[in-house]
Amino acid sequence: MMDAEARLAAVFGAGAAPVRDPSFTLAVIRGAEAARFKAAAAASMLRWGGLAAVVACLALVLAGWTSVNWAGAQGGILGAGAIFALVAMARLMTQRLAPAVVR
Amino acid sequence: MSPHDEARLIAAARKGDSRAYAALVDVHQQAVRGFLRRFAGHWADADDLAQEAFVTAWAKLSRFEGRSSFRSWVSGIGFRIARDAKRTHSRAQVRESDWQSEQENAEGGAPIEDQIAVQRAMLELPDEQRAVVALCLGEGFSHSEAAEILKLPLGTVKSHVTRGRERLLRALETE
Repeated sequence: MMDAEARLAAVFGAGAAPVRDPSFTLAVIRGAEAARFKAAAAASMLRWGGLAAVVACLALVLAGWTSVNWAGAQGGILGAGAIFALVAMARLMTQRLAPAVVR
Repeated sequence: MSPHDEARLIAAARKGDSRAYAALVDVHQQAVRGFLRRFAGHWADADDLAQEAFVTAWAKLSRFEGRSSFRSWVSGIGFRIARDAKRTHSRAQVRESDWQSEQENAEGGAPIEDQIAVQRAMLELPDEQRAVVALCLGEGFSHSEAAEILKLPLGTVKSHVTRGRERLLRALETE
């Protein structure tokens, strides 16, 4: 009959240790990947949601300002259109001139 | 695994290398699972807790400073997860599953009645004392490692080991 010390040592012995389990490792990696995906998706949603809220606020402010100052807004739209047209034309000219310079 | 290899794997895992982290899990899973099985008392849940500990450890790997070993660090995370999870578990569930757990453990070598007696006595120990006994007597962690894992003074760990061991021996003698 073993004494209590030996019996305790047998209970805590090497045979009682869990065996190395490859499926445990796989489950950890899968769990970690899932957690990362969830965190990345949440961060992305938060980022785009924030951006959408800011754009919506700016659009509301702009719409309010435009309805009050329609004459000024008209001038601004025409000015911006003229600048845009000038820039577009300048780009077109440089693109057409570049091959001619190379030749 | 040498400390140099372990440091190399940790550095790679920090950069997101899942193979490196899988290698770390493979090496340390037995110690962490063994500790949590003894601490939590029920096997299936203990493996889930160990899995959660490793997943959390990877997410927090940038905070690992290397003052303790990786095994100790993950065991500490596992201990805190298990302690929090214990609050949501009913004691009845634990008792129900411990018989089944011991059936699975029957291949371990010690007689089944001794295993049941020790597990019952373990469940009667206070949380900190049970964790210390599971680490030092069950998984062969040193007293200072256990102190680091459980954030306890070294003297407290030593007294927990002595008292816990006495209570387990008493449980076996009265069996």
